[in-house]
Amino acid sequence: MSFDSLLQLPQYSLPQKEKEAILGKELEALTEYHRTRSEAYARLLRVLHPHYRGVRSLSNVPYLPVGLFKSHMLQSVPDADVFKILRSSGTTGQRPSIVPLDRETARRQTVALSRIMMHVLGPKRMPMLLVESPSLILDRRQFNARVAGLLGMMNFGRNHTYALDAALQLDIHGIRAFLDQFGHEPFLLFGFTFVVWHNFLLQLKGQKLDFSNGILIHTGGWKKLQEQSVSQEEFRQRFGEEIGLTRIFNFYGMVEQVGSVFLEGEDGLLYPPNFGDVIVRDPVTLQELPPGEVGILQVLSLLPLSYPGHSLLTEDLGRIHSIDDSSCGRRGKAFSVLGRLPQAEMRGCSDVIASMEAA
Amino acid sequence: MEVGMLVPDGRSASLEEVVSLLSPQRTPQLSPFSDSALALCAGLSQAIFRDREAARFPELLALAFWMRRAELVSLRSQFRATSSPELIAVPRGLVFHIPPSNVDTIFVYSWLLAVLAGNRNCIRMSSRRTPQSEILLRLLRDSLERADQHLQHNTIIVSYGHNPEITEALSKACDVRVIWGGDHTVGLIRSVPLAIHAREMVFPDRSSFAVIRAETYLSLSQQSQQKLAEQFYNDSYWFDQMACSSPKLLVWCGSGADTRHASQAFWAALDGCISTRGFAAPAAIHMKKLVFSCESILDLPVSEYYRSREVTVLTLDSLKNYARQHSGGGLFFTTRVDQLSDLVPFLARKDQTLTYFGFDTDELTTFAISLGGKAIDRMVPIGQALQFSRFWDGHDLLREFCRFVHIPPPTVDLEPQNDSRRT
Repeated sequence: MSFDSLLQLPQYSLPQKEKEAILGKELEALTEYHRTRSEAYARLLRVLHPHYRGVRSLSNVPYLPVGLFKSHMLQSVPDADVFKILRSSGTTGQRPSIVPLDRETARRQTVALSRIMMHVLGPKRMPMLLVESPSLILDRRQFNARVAGLLGMMNFGRNHTYALDAALQLDIHGIRAFLDQFGHEPFLLFGFTFVVWHNFLLQLKGQKLDFSNGILIHTGGWKKLQEQSVSQEEFRQRFGEEIGLTRIFNFYGMVEQVGSVFLEGEDGLLYPPNFGDVIVRDPVTLQELPPGEVGILQVLSLLPLSYPGHSLLTEDLGRIHSIDDSSCGRRGKAFSVLGRLPQAEMRGCSDVIASMEAA
Repeated sequence: MEVGMLVPDGRSASLEEVVSLLSPQRTPQLSPFSDSALALCAGLSQAIFRDREAARFPELLALAFWMRRAELVSLRSQFRATSSPELIAVPRGLVFHIPPSNVDTIFVYSWLLAVLAGNRNCIRMSSRRTPQSEILLRLLRDSLERADQHLQHNTIIVSYGHNPEITEALSKACDVRVIWGGDHTVGLIRSVPLAIHAREMVFPDRSSFAVIRAETYLSLSQQSQQKLAEQFYNDSYWFDQMACSSPKLLVWCGSGADTRHASQAFWAALDGCISTRGFAAPAAIHMKKLVFSCESILDLPVSEYYRSREVTVLTLDSLKNYARQHSGGGLFFTTRVDQLSDLVPFLARKDQTLTYFGFDTDELTTFAISLGGKAIDRMVPIGQALQFSRFWDGHDLLREFCRFVHIPPPTVDLEPQNDSRRT
């Protein structure tokens, strides 16, 4: 089965075993594709996996650590075919990941994202409230994964309205006008998890607004909310209580695999799309771990053609909850992300400056 | 401006007060190797040995062993043996130490040699402190309280954040500034002016490697091979391989076949040693090692990759472009040469410690001379990489902490006036 037919099948409909057989074959071909097109990838494969002779099971697909994309731009197409270079929005002081895109990979990303989103949004474009500042996409120097994510999601809505102003303050008049006009029919909200909580929900307190027809899609990670001890349950509960918003879908994705996102089901767990999968590995031995055990996440996707990003070892911790046994009717693996691998303090003759500057 | 003091007590004082506490008027200078300084240092050594918390950390016990009384006495006789009656050693005055934030023991080594030389000391400790440095601070505070009155106010330890004003004031007041730490720290603090007469010693980032003669290694009994692995483990893993003198590269000297056999046995022995000791790096270090391995495979002539639980080995076809960058946490580059002298073109000023097995002193001396001063400050047997000495980074620290008053004998004999001539 090809990538295109996997796209056309209803998402989350493949039993795991069947899916693994299809993906295994496709990912083996993709590994070969990148090996012959990227010298760097061929070299990594040769040195890291000298005995690699093809994929026997999904967990045999060679993977690269996602951190490598910060120091090296890996590319499987000629320079002339690169039409856009994606950079992660990464926090200050950190190097961003760099990912080259050709038109075909970008097309696959767009189609793939739309197939995933349509599963919860339906085929019709809805009025859309962007929980974001309009200045974000106006400033072209700022083009990064966050902007790309927003632009990508805007495709799924119409009558785009920004909920925040340039200073990320609530635009309450704009929101009221949007609700007056569209609040009686289903509408879409999109934003980054922390912004949606901090700059939106917490500021709406006491405004008595009705968002019960809204569907919220959010992404960006729980790190900042974890710091404020806001759990996923509390997040959902407060949205329901304060503004009547109950249909909430988080998704997990990364700039190194744009389009191949893991969207929450109604049960609050994340599900891989038909053309991707997830594997949990022991952070020390790198062996695959059974469901229930916490390890680092490896993400697999058939989308990347312009760079060898089809199998990546992330720096995120997660756990598989069930396989082909979800309460919301989805097949395949159901998993959750538990946050970043905790950073370790290294000893040694290192700089005193970091501590001087931090103080 | 308030400055937090960790020693003598935990109070804060104004910057002016700290500087005045350190003035020569407040604290008398002592001669090098005074009995009271010796007693203070030996006392601290005993205190570490007796402390139950300290016993958990081998690097603290190594420090205590290094500064035990017998060792200090021998240091004194070595020091005196190299003095001449024409040169009177006196302390330089105030030494301002800036130790690294996380080799916990460095500040004590640096302080010890300066205090033995008779100097007054000010140490700037990072606010990020490990349990090991807290233990040392506590024991040092107690030892100073019990020390001879002259010494009680001889040492001040301060802790402050990014505050150039304090660094400037202390730099202006001191006679010697000692900066341990990375290149970035050294560069930054170096730009802060010193008093016109003051001098500075800097210990920037360094890189170290081990050399083993494959043939000699293969002639060892299995037990001795195991022992060598343990020594290598101590050199490498005590400070997560982040100490400047911990080996990051292992060079095999010998034929291809010998090296293959020796290398296989060596890494297996190291794996065995690590599992016996129960060493386990945190998950983030494993990830860092994996990313660094991939980067190295793309940037360097890496031909082989070996990964066990705690050991990652990257085999280099040649040391060409070997950049001395490193992830730490148990990752080793390795390569093979026919003889020691093959290394000469690849070594650089940044290379500090060569730890060795299978070479005699004559070979090492010839090698050191053939390097013509371009690399390497010390060559010690495998197992002694972290053993501190007064000779470090090419300096004799003890002598650097002294000034020498030269009193040569008079050369022209001038006779007193003859009484008989006066008449």
